[in-house]
Amino acid sequence: MGANYLASLSHYVPELLACLTMFGLILIEATYKEEQKTRGFFFLSAYIGLASVLVFSAFAITKEPLSIFTNSIIIDPFSSIMKMIMVLGTLGAVLITSQSKDIDGNLKPEFVIMATGVLVGGMLLSSANNMLVLFIGIETLSILSYVLASLRKEDERSSEAGLKYSLYGGISSGIMLFGLSHIFGVLGTINFTEMASALKTIQQTDLIVLMPSFLLFFVGLGYKIACVPFHMWSPDVYEGSPLPVTTFFSIVPKVAGLAAMIRISHTFFSDPGALNVGWVGVLSIVAALTMTVGNVSAIGQRSVKRMLAYSSISHAGVMLLGVLVINEIGTRSVVFYSVAYLFMTLVAFYVVSAVADKYGNDHFERFNGLMYRYPAMAVALAVVMFSLAGIPPLSGFVAKFHIFTAVLNKNYYVLAIIAGLNSVVSLYYYLKIVRLMVLKPAESTEPISGFSLMNQGAIVALCIPVLLLGVFWEKLITLADGAKVFIQ
Amino acid sequence: MISLPSYLFLSFALFIAGIAVMVARKNIIAIMLGIELILNSAALNFAAYTRFANDNIDGHLMSLFIIVIAAAEAAVGLAIVIRFFQIKETIHIDDAAQLQN
Repeated sequence: MGANYLASLSHYVPELLACLTMFGLILIEATYKEEQKTRGFFFLSAYIGLASVLVFSAFAITKEPLSIFTNSIIIDPFSSIMKMIMVLGTLGAVLITSQSKDIDGNLKPEFVIMATGVLVGGMLLSSANNMLVLFIGIETLSILSYVLASLRKEDERSSEAGLKYSLYGGISSGIMLFGLSHIFGVLGTINFTEMASALKTIQQTDLIVLMPSFLLFFVGLGYKIACVPFHMWSPDVYEGSPLPVTTFFSIVPKVAGLAAMIRISHTFFSDPGALNVGWVGVLSIVAALTMTVGNVSAIGQRSVKRMLAYSSISHAGVMLLGVLVINEIGTRSVVFYSVAYLFMTLVAFYVVSAVADKYGNDHFERFNGLMYRYPAMAVALAVVMFSLAGIPPLSGFVAKFHIFTAVLNKNYYVLAIIAGLNSVVSLYYYLKIVRLMVLKPAESTEPISGFSLMNQGAIVALCIPVLLLGVFWEKLITLADGAKVFIQ
Repeated sequence: MISLPSYLFLSFALFIAGIAVMVARKNIIAIMLGIELILNSAALNFAAYTRFANDNIDGHLMSLFIIVIAAAEAAVGLAIVIRFFQIKETIHIDDAAQLQN
């Protein structure tokens, strides 16, 4: 049985700290006057708060897995690592926000506060062990995301993005709840582990209700990680939102959704049977479609931000491959992929953010001749693009390699071939930007203020993990190997 | 005597109605009403299953939370719609078509 409430709280420090950070930031923001634009102290306390969350999540990795709050939340190494990835993503997004001009100075604190709130939702989601916590996690994540998407209040596109996000989000969470309600009706409990043991003694007739219900359940989660056919909202929302928000969306909700998806797959569908076959079948089709549609749509884009949005859809598809094998190799590869993806995304968006702030848009032509003006930045962006495409010796290659190992281990050859072909397709649009940076002459010689010395340093520092993880990946894979999903 | 199948039939009808509203109506407020219908059908399901099928009080808890969170979602959604209306002077979903391929 789980520990009692007071004892549970002592294992729940990272989430509590994140909540505390959020409330503290609200209070600090209230002390500023309207005309004070810099808010150095606010950002400093945000960094300190998030860093403390990171440290306490890291402590939890080495501890024994356990379930708390009467078995409704599970703290295991897997959830702790996923939480660390989400916190790092939030930290990166906050860093980009503090430098970006895409969000007005007075709105930056609001972004940071709400991003911390989304982080709390993601943490709940990644360790949820019952329907209620899962639902609350998804809604905390979503409702704050709607506000984040429409953060630029005067902007038509931003409020349209928020509108689309909230409509799609409401629909999908409703559909998911309808599925969950029938699962509850058949199995008689909302606790995942009790549901799993009830599933073992199930009647054949119950499957007629359960199969469609689990499909509806999948809709809600699939929407969060933006897999095809529930991806329609994602390019629009990513394009309409301010750039730091897009950075944030392409990391935290995705990682949280994948973590929940992995836990659910491991809890319910690890035993062979009709449900397992159905779930793996659905996931395979969805993963293949997600990779292909994401990549093919990314080819024709003019805006780099929208291209990155589509590419993040296709990366979610690749990560789904690691989910659908439902074993420890798959979990390990997804953890590694998330870490690699985190750093690649942060660098790409950081550079794009600086360029977009200067020119007011982020079309491909704005990157013409960047090599001759800011060589360090162009090389950083090129490294990240190569890594996203999966070229050795960069971290993106190692991440893809581990996913392929997991898939081939289960003899899903077709999926591996589709993933390989997609890698080739993605090379086209990733290298397009590298080609423009190197081969085209620069449009202007005006300096880009976003590439100040400090920002260049930050970008290069974020680039280092992309390079290092491509060569020295054993440490991280050993760490990820310990990230076992704990099932009570 | 009203039994479980009646409730399930009602909630299924609500669910279908909600989906139909979302697909057919072009007014954003109407679409949000459709979302509420779907959420309420799920809440009704949870309550009905608890009452008739498995006597597990967690189902009632789920219903309560669904009602609360639906309210929060509606509040945020309506705020965004109001903002959209102030900028665009319309609440027709086809006018939200600036972000496209």
